[in-house]
Amino acid sequence: MISRSALSRGSQLALRRPAAAKTAQRGFAAAAASPAASYEPTTIAGVKVASRDDSGPTTRLAVVAKAGTRYEPLPGLTVGLEEFAFKAGTQNTNKRTALRITRESELLGGQLQAYHTREAVVLQASFLREDLPYFTELLAEVISETKYTTHEFHELVENCIHEKQAKLDSAAIALDAAHNVAFHSGLGSPLYPTVDTPTSSYLNENSVAAFANLAYNKANIAVVADGASQAGLEKWVEPFFKGVPATSSGNLNTAASKYFGGEQRVAKNGKNAIVIAFPGASLGVPHPETSVLVGLLGGVSNIKWSPGFSLLAKATAANPGAEAFAHNYAYSDAGLLAIQITGKGAAVGKVAVEAVKGLKAIAAGGVSKEDLTKAIAKAKFNLLSASEVSGTGLVHAGANLLAGGKPIQVAETLKALEGVTAEKLQAAAKKLLEGKASVSAVGDLHVLPYAEDLGLKV
Amino acid sequence: MSAPSLVQAVAKRGWLNKMLKPVSNWYINAAGYRQMGLRADDLISEENETVLAALQRLSPKESYDRIYRIRRATQLSLTHKLLPKNEWTTQEEDVPYLRPLIDQIEAEAAEKDALDTLAVVKN
Repeated sequence: MISRSALSRGSQLALRRPAAAKTAQRGFAAAAASPAASYEPTTIAGVKVASRDDSGPTTRLAVVAKAGTRYEPLPGLTVGLEEFAFKAGTQNTNKRTALRITRESELLGGQLQAYHTREAVVLQASFLREDLPYFTELLAEVISETKYTTHEFHELVENCIHEKQAKLDSAAIALDAAHNVAFHSGLGSPLYPTVDTPTSSYLNENSVAAFANLAYNKANIAVVADGASQAGLEKWVEPFFKGVPATSSGNLNTAASKYFGGEQRVAKNGKNAIVIAFPGASLGVPHPETSVLVGLLGGVSNIKWSPGFSLLAKATAANPGAEAFAHNYAYSDAGLLAIQITGKGAAVGKVAVEAVKGLKAIAAGGVSKEDLTKAIAKAKFNLLSASEVSGTGLVHAGANLLAGGKPIQVAETLKALEGVTAEKLQAAAKKLLEGKASVSAVGDLHVLPYAEDLGLKV
Repeated sequence: MSAPSLVQAVAKRGWLNKMLKPVSNWYINAAGYRQMGLRADDLISEENETVLAALQRLSPKESYDRIYRIRRATQLSLTHKLLPKNEWTTQEEDVPYLRPLIDQIEAEAAEKDALDTLAVVKN
């Protein structure tokens, strides 16, 4: 039984929709223009700080240290450092044990997280706004006073590492392999060492402690806060980060990145994966064409029951059993635009062929105006959601600050995205195809195609 | 694991410490473990979880030396002999190497217990 008024209300809403869409658009533009959308860099008592305050009820506070796999002097140290943070058992820091840290932050409703990217080790706390002093103190304590003990390394850290190694799938290994052929050492070193990576002679509690000394000092960390007031940060960062050393004596492995390109094939049981990668956009240099190209290649459909407009989504719809998406991995001095395809059987190879065909079509100028508009809209959404919703904005802001650049300016970047034309996009795609690609295939090598077969130069 | 002990209380009072030191030395000598090349911490009963966990945390060298001392002492006990006097454990060698680890593990357990039975007071 649907009442008459309910029915008419639905039609009224439908009638009002264009107007509603207009107001939504206006709201969106206003949000993009507001200064709170970008991280503001400052320096508090020698510590680089980037903060953004949207006056929300929760805060995310992170210490981003320039200690990712790119900078590690020996393989596996970044992973060891990440696992030691917050986790280890007795007297994790000189002041309190890991158990106490966990229970106290549980009582305050906070979440603690430690993870790493290729460039940074990130210790992150998410908590209610008023708990800023507690978590600022905690993060400072973890980076400056953690004890790297032998028994914790054997009882906890090694187990955590083995667990995560068991979870590495073809897709992760293929992406590592693509980075490896693209950049060789530095950015090319694997994000997570596999079971077969010989790390045991390098990774132990003493080497991790030495690496922690290199990584956690004022010159090498950035504090990034999302949702904390500038005044609060100024008040609490200064006293709590006093104990963090200003510089370290040793040197991290900081060679500049160089793009090489090539092909790598790894036999593995389980799913198949192919990564096709090209030199992409780095963090410092704005390159809107790459973002739009990522939007155009897309992959995951945002609409139900339809593959959507993106090239990869169309290709996977035609070849069931495979998934594909494009992403630009931006680093401080290099980038990698990667098309990642995973799935079962020969469908992966077919999607790879389709993806390269699609890229060639873009380079030949086969992008309709409508698709370009959609791709620009998608690129804008990607940018805003990355900087606002997910944690990547936090990490990027920190990494950028450490590299000496300014955090990404959202409003300006949005304007740059608007300026991308079909011709610019065509030129960018052509340039990618003319250079050397980095291709990696992991899985059943009998069915996975070579880069030659895809029509790429390696 | 820990039995009640007055050691800390005695050590704090210099005069009492001075008075009891000869008694303690006599007792250690009478116990006879040093004559068999053992250290005091070798005598701690290892048949409980705490001490087993502490033994796991010994460095490989310490663990090897401990086993060597115990096997040597067992052999001496079987043959009803003592070590030659120059091989007896000296006072400098008789250091607590296992007790600190046991204390650490007990502190961990006590803290976990305290946090598990915590009563949160809101004001």
